[in-house]
Amino acid sequence: MIEVNGLGKDFSYTTKEPGLKGSLKALFFREKKTKSALKDINLKIHEGEMIGLIGANGAGKTTLVKILAGIVHPSHGTASIMGHTPWERSDDYRRQMALIMGQKAQVWWDLPALDSFLLLKEIYQLSEEIYQQNIKYLSETLMISEQLKIPVRKLSLGERMKVELMAALLHNPKVIFLDEPTIGLDISAQKAVREFLKDYQKRFKPIIILTSHYMEDIKELCKRIVIIKDGQFVYDGELSQVQKMMGDEKVLTITTEQDFKDEKIQAFGGKRKSENVFTLSIPREKLGEMTAKFFSEFAVLDLNIQDPSIEDIIESMMKSGSK
Amino acid sequence: MKNWGRFVISMELRKILAYRSDFWLSFLGQTFIQLFVGRALWQSVFEASNVTEMNGMNIDTLTLYYLIAPIGTRILTGENIGFISREIYEGSFTKYLIYPLSFFSYKSITYLTYSLFYSIQLLILYILYSLFYYHSLPDFTHFGFAIAGTLTFLIASVASMSIAMSIELLALWVDNTWSLMVGFRFFMHFLGGAFIPLVFFPEWANKALEWTPFPYFVNFPIQTFMGNISLHDWIKQASVLLLWVLVCATISKLIWKRGQYQYTGVGI
Repeated sequence: MIEVNGLGKDFSYTTKEPGLKGSLKALFFREKKTKSALKDINLKIHEGEMIGLIGANGAGKTTLVKILAGIVHPSHGTASIMGHTPWERSDDYRRQMALIMGQKAQVWWDLPALDSFLLLKEIYQLSEEIYQQNIKYLSETLMISEQLKIPVRKLSLGERMKVELMAALLHNPKVIFLDEPTIGLDISAQKAVREFLKDYQKRFKPIIILTSHYMEDIKELCKRIVIIKDGQFVYDGELSQVQKMMGDEKVLTITTEQDFKDEKIQAFGGKRKSENVFTLSIPREKLGEMTAKFFSEFAVLDLNIQDPSIEDIIESMMKSGSK
Repeated sequence: MKNWGRFVISMELRKILAYRSDFWLSFLGQTFIQLFVGRALWQSVFEASNVTEMNGMNIDTLTLYYLIAPIGTRILTGENIGFISREIYEGSFTKYLIYPLSFFSYKSITYLTYSLFYSIQLLILYILYSLFYYHSLPDFTHFGFAIAGTLTFLIASVASMSIAMSIELLALWVDNTWSLMVGFRFFMHFLGGAFIPLVFFPEWANKALEWTPFPYFVNFPIQTFMGNISLHDWIKQASVLLLWVLVCATISKLIWKRGQYQYTGVGI
């Protein structure tokens, strides 16, 4: 179980003016600034749960994952994962945890993956039987058996991610942090990784915290989501509830005969989708009144009325920060 | 040593041997260039001064000196500059924090694997040199001294690793420690006697250097190698070296203790 209370992280950084003048000035003077990447985070995750952590770039998702994985120290607050404080990095905790970062290689670059796995077998003190069993299961499920003898640096991005997944899961971790595991992968590789994670979660029931910019990952894998904005949680609950929260809204997609100026579209609260096509969200009770208005103002070719998509709702929550 | 330690040694050795041209260039190229340049320069100095011996060294002992010095310094320098700082900069340092192993043990093993590998190279070169130049070798070049000298280089490499670790870990604050490491290596080579043997340094300089770790890095192992040091002096100098190891290892630990709060895992 994971329990986080009042967790926060402030980062200090320096700024420099652009250009040569700025570089010269920075030799003697640099402005120091502090940014709160996480503010007073509270979170409870139960055994076997898989949650999706969603937020814009710089919202604080990765910082939270890094703190919980024990690689970054928080500025304040507490966290307990299976009774361990993550940033104390006890061997016992590290034997039960795995971190996979889509943008960082953790296996040894110059060596074939099998060499890295053998080293990990020794590091995690796995028996030969468990090691062979896990290698077989992971390589067959991820369909990567043929590439394990090739130096990692020579593998494709998708193959590398599969190798990273194998390396991270070799010791059957009870808590898994997945930071953008499908970033940069093509659609079929994304699908393969998602299918694998779904199967793995079903089979071994670890706690999984997943961050991703691809809503497909979240929709396919997580029942519970946490939306983070500017270092704070703006939503923590069931993914299915998100759509219900906005149930009184409808999305209209209107195609017109001729294009209009953005100002005119914006006057209706609409957003341009492409030339001649714009969308807007309106309350259900105003549907009739607004539709009539469009027909009188624009030469409407086509009009489509839909419930808002999860992507739209989450995007609007990330922007407005509403709870 | 834990099983993973043995595995890391074998893995690092495979890495060293993976790039063939780099291996031969650094093994033979670097060694022989320094040997021939050193010998040629000293030959000119002897001829110009019209002497056959200076400060107790003749051209044969200087040739042996310049055979040992280049590989000896490689034993001391172990892994390349950036063996910690580059990983901090790139964020790949994260792996040492998430795997259940000691970062210090892991990095010490990788560094010393390189040192051990170069030690074997030194002994091989020495054997080859003995076969071809046995007639010019002085009496003291007994093989036992060669082994003792190589072991002394290995002890010195632990000291240089401790200092290098302290400097490299500063990357937790300053991002780039390249120039500091280049400076340290220059002083280690120059003040250690890798370029010019310390017997040619003025006496006041030798006296001043006694308080620093530098003469114990290159000069001390080479003098041991050449059989110029009594057991009593060897114990005394090795003790000073070990003291420096203790001091620098403690400093590294302190830097790490504070620096780990600075690590953000951000990188390329």
